[in-house]
Amino acid sequence: MSTTIPRRERSKQAARPAGPAKAAASGRHSQRWLAWMFLAPTIVGMGLFTLVPIVASVVLAFFRWDIISAPTFVGFDNFAEVVQDPTVRVSFLNTIVFVVVAVAFQLGLALALAVMVQEKMPSWLRTFFRSAFFFPLILSAASVSIFMRYLFNEQFGVVNWFLSLAGIPAVPWLTTPGGSAAVVILVYVWQNFGFSFLLFIGGLASIPTETYEAASLDGATGWRKHLYVTLPLLSPTTLLASVIAIINALQVFDQPYVLTRGGPGDSTRTAVMVIFESAFQRLEFGQASAIGVILTLIIMAVTAAQFRLSKRFVFYQ
Amino acid sequence: MTGATSGRLREFSRRTALGALGAGIVGATVASWPRLSGTDIPGRGDNSLSIAILGTAADAAARQRAIDAFARLHPDIPVKVQAIQAGDWKDFFTKILTMVAAGTPPDIVYVATEGAQLFADKLAHPLDEYLRRDAADMAEFFDDVHPSLVEAFMYKGSLFQLPMDWNAANMYYNTTAFQQAGLQRPADDWTHLDFRNSLVAMRKARPSDFTPYYWTNRLFGGVVPWLYANDTSFLKETRSTGGDWLWDSFYANDPSRSLRTGGYQWLEPNADDPRVFESFDYLRGLVKDGLGVRPEEGGGGSLVGLFASNRIGTTPAGGYWVQGLHEAGMKENDFDVAFFPKWRTQRHQFGTAGYAIMKTAKDKDAAWEWIKFSASREAMELIFPNPVTTPARRSMVNEALYAGKGPAHWKVFYDTLDKYPTTGPIPAPPQQAAVETALMKNVSLAVSGDERQLKQALDSMQRDLEIALRRQP
Amino acid sequence: MSTTTERVSTRPAPAPPARGRRKPNWNLVVRIALLSLAAVLTLGPVMWTLSTSLRTPSESFRLPPSFFPLNPDFTSYVQVFEQLDIFILVLNSALVTGLIAVGQMVTAAMAGYAFANLKFRGGGALFSIVLATMMVPVQVTIVPVFMLIRGMGLSDTLLALILPAIPTAFGTFLMRQYFLGLPADLAEAAAIDGASPWRTFRSVYAPLAVPGMAIVGILAFNFHWNEFFRPLILTISERNFTLPLGLVSLQGNLGTGSISVVLAGVVLSMIPALVVFTFGQRALQDGLTAGTGK
Repeated sequence: MSTTIPRRERSKQAARPAGPAKAAASGRHSQRWLAWMFLAPTIVGMGLFTLVPIVASVVLAFFRWDIISAPTFVGFDNFAEVVQDPTVRVSFLNTIVFVVVAVAFQLGLALALAVMVQEKMPSWLRTFFRSAFFFPLILSAASVSIFMRYLFNEQFGVVNWFLSLAGIPAVPWLTTPGGSAAVVILVYVWQNFGFSFLLFIGGLASIPTETYEAASLDGATGWRKHLYVTLPLLSPTTLLASVIAIINALQVFDQPYVLTRGGPGDSTRTAVMVIFESAFQRLEFGQASAIGVILTLIIMAVTAAQFRLSKRFVFYQ
Repeated sequence: MTGATSGRLREFSRRTALGALGAGIVGATVASWPRLSGTDIPGRGDNSLSIAILGTAADAAARQRAIDAFARLHPDIPVKVQAIQAGDWKDFFTKILTMVAAGTPPDIVYVATEGAQLFADKLAHPLDEYLRRDAADMAEFFDDVHPSLVEAFMYKGSLFQLPMDWNAANMYYNTTAFQQAGLQRPADDWTHLDFRNSLVAMRKARPSDFTPYYWTNRLFGGVVPWLYANDTSFLKETRSTGGDWLWDSFYANDPSRSLRTGGYQWLEPNADDPRVFESFDYLRGLVKDGLGVRPEEGGGGSLVGLFASNRIGTTPAGGYWVQGLHEAGMKENDFDVAFFPKWRTQRHQFGTAGYAIMKTAKDKDAAWEWIKFSASREAMELIFPNPVTTPARRSMVNEALYAGKGPAHWKVFYDTLDKYPTTGPIPAPPQQAAVETALMKNVSLAVSGDERQLKQALDSMQRDLEIALRRQP
Repeated sequence: MSTTTERVSTRPAPAPPARGRRKPNWNLVVRIALLSLAAVLTLGPVMWTLSTSLRTPSESFRLPPSFFPLNPDFTSYVQVFEQLDIFILVLNSALVTGLIAVGQMVTAAMAGYAFANLKFRGGGALFSIVLATMMVPVQVTIVPVFMLIRGMGLSDTLLALILPAIPTAFGTFLMRQYFLGLPADLAEAAAIDGASPWRTFRSVYAPLAVPGMAIVGILAFNFHWNEFFRPLILTISERNFTLPLGLVSLQGNLGTGSISVVLAGVVLSMIPALVVFTFGQRALQDGLTAGTGK
């Protein structure tokens, strides 16, 4: 998701004062002491409530366990079954497609809107637009999905009513594989683009005005200006926004769960939905853990790849 | 000098403010400690008989009168009802299993057909010994309750629950829509072709903004009634032996006695049966010709509103729907109910629910006393004052229950059992959750494409069901 | 080429030169049109929800839809209060969300400061581990967390929701970025004065950290107020439910609930988040601007 940066655009911006505070060498010892004091709550908490459970989850992946009776060791059986299960495979594929499409859509929309909002306009209007775009974030995904379901109803939904005004026949949004995938993506992006939007606003604000002035003196205007100035200077923000967006999108659950229950067929079943179903509906906690372990490995690989790519394409001022 | 003073002052006031804030947070935390640790919940950790039901606080409160009546009868057995909010039965069972995992299982759980075999197989204690012991007291209950409902709770020859309430998938219709289309009330033995013709007539009368047949993709009232009417199902239905002890002692003279067995068994998938194809193809035809909607998965949230606003001609539902339609503003003559259409048979589908005693219950005798009390006419009248469901007792499905609310032909509800004694429960083996998913996820695809897509959807349903049934529940 | 100079700024731009008064600024018109379209698409569904919740059930599916509640009917709201013990739901949600937010603000500020401004061995590796925990879906760890909670004797309590949510990877990350964004000469000045690391933190950085902590707090509030999955698994008694769980029950078993009532519940649950957002919006935008523009 990172932005490609034309090398020649490296402008000679004065670096912002940044980096860790350089403390006197004499304070090393007390710094270390203070550091561990400060880190203790977070590290103990994470160790207890995240790392230990992860290890436990990996161990559980080698057992068959239904909560009611005692667990039995089954070796790699869970992994073997999971890998062969067509539903699991489809759900992983769906998750990948969802992440690519939803994140691209979300970032593109957020960036375009952020650029448009940040340019000259009456400030009350700017405040209104910013608040409007952020608004869906304060709703819960579950309740958003509840009312979106009504809006996208094939016969009685408002969306199809508007389409019918334009002479478009009713679209079976929630009952065909393509339609339901589109709805899940639309609803997800509708709710989440505001966060990326906010990050981009922050990033844009930190680009000094003089950079644009210099660029326009060089004859860069309109979209070219954004292509050659905004995108490169915004790339650290884009990296941050894309990492957060991808991590969140990989874990999408509420929207497909409420909107489509994963259907029709397996068309909107995501990886975490399959984990939930096998653990809490079928009581196969070992298999659920096995799926979880595989998913976690994939997420880590994707994120690592992103940071690796970012070294090449992200431009730090 | 002045700058330093004001700076110090500012720091002082900020520190005071932060200190006050911190103290406030700590104070609030301490004050709300009972709430945070759950120790303020009455009856928590005590020895009273805990009963888990699916519902809200309001539902629990509605049972209070029944609990009070029970307390007068058994002052030595303290009872607490835990209403557990969940979207559907599947979510409710998940919650119960969570309680088991947390080491705090309830003693009694209100379980619907969907989970009857899951509980019977793993979690529940059979009622056989108590029924034998108290046979004389219980005869009156079984006299008043149709054996089909009881058989749904038979598992491998033992009875695990007494049916309290139930619903069959009958056919609701909007009387105005019927009149506008020039249709009479359907005959009791109308066929699937008659049904289709009525839909066509309604479609002609109201070409837009209206759906002649609305249905949802659920285990209850979705495709299954059409499979049952066509004398098939998506699972091979067999029966286990046994149970004669019950039938002989309580239903010896019942006309359908010979049909009764030790319980249903669903061990094999049956989605490749040509009749399953035939039923699906019929529904596909309704969708294709704009007579019926493509069903949404798990849907139903909009059903009452749509039906009450005259946007739907017909939909399958049971007695549980009356109160909802009444509250949504429908008058008693705005809608009516008919039997589900006939195909090869006129077998209906029903779901029922009742209390199960958990294996882990501390005092099973006390638990039985609650179940026995709940089965009494007195208790059931306290619990079901409104038609939010159909009471299991035939004598309670009466004029008074539906007065002022409709439907005119409320007799259809219980007649379904009496007229069609082969009427069967929701197919729900112990692996219910996996089976339900396997069915539901393939329904939309099956009915919304061409014949080839239908064939593919049924193939994949067959495969998914095989996987689901192979799993240990 | 015409040289339209546009200024980029978060604050209201100083009065532009008198240019563009005479001929319409097409760039501005097009932009505002596009942004307005986006705003309508964003707020439209919410307006529909609000206006539908104010209709009687039999009216709820009327087309053309109405987006403005002209003849409000409050029966659905009354029904929400009848069906749910809203007071306890709001109290629980407020306690859970508030304590998580405060806990996250404090722990994230401390940890973020340590990662940003203090030198100690293994800091980089530790920070990577902290970040990596962000990638593990909650569904993966929920069962072991559940067993852990049971072992601590906290099954079915609000503390079971609060304690595991306090350590925050994202909050720590934000606070680290935030501290890195503060001018370095602050600490240098303090160091020259011979202040100890603790004094430097307390007198120089802690007061400056408040806007950053506010972001962490607001984001935590927003996320946990709306959280569904963990409460679904970790709470059992209705007395321990949070608002989103209560709302779902309004849908009724087998969909016997009324859409107006469900939507009324959705609207009611929006209000507290809306209040926090209204007051916190400025802080959030300024904070994210300062903290992540880096």
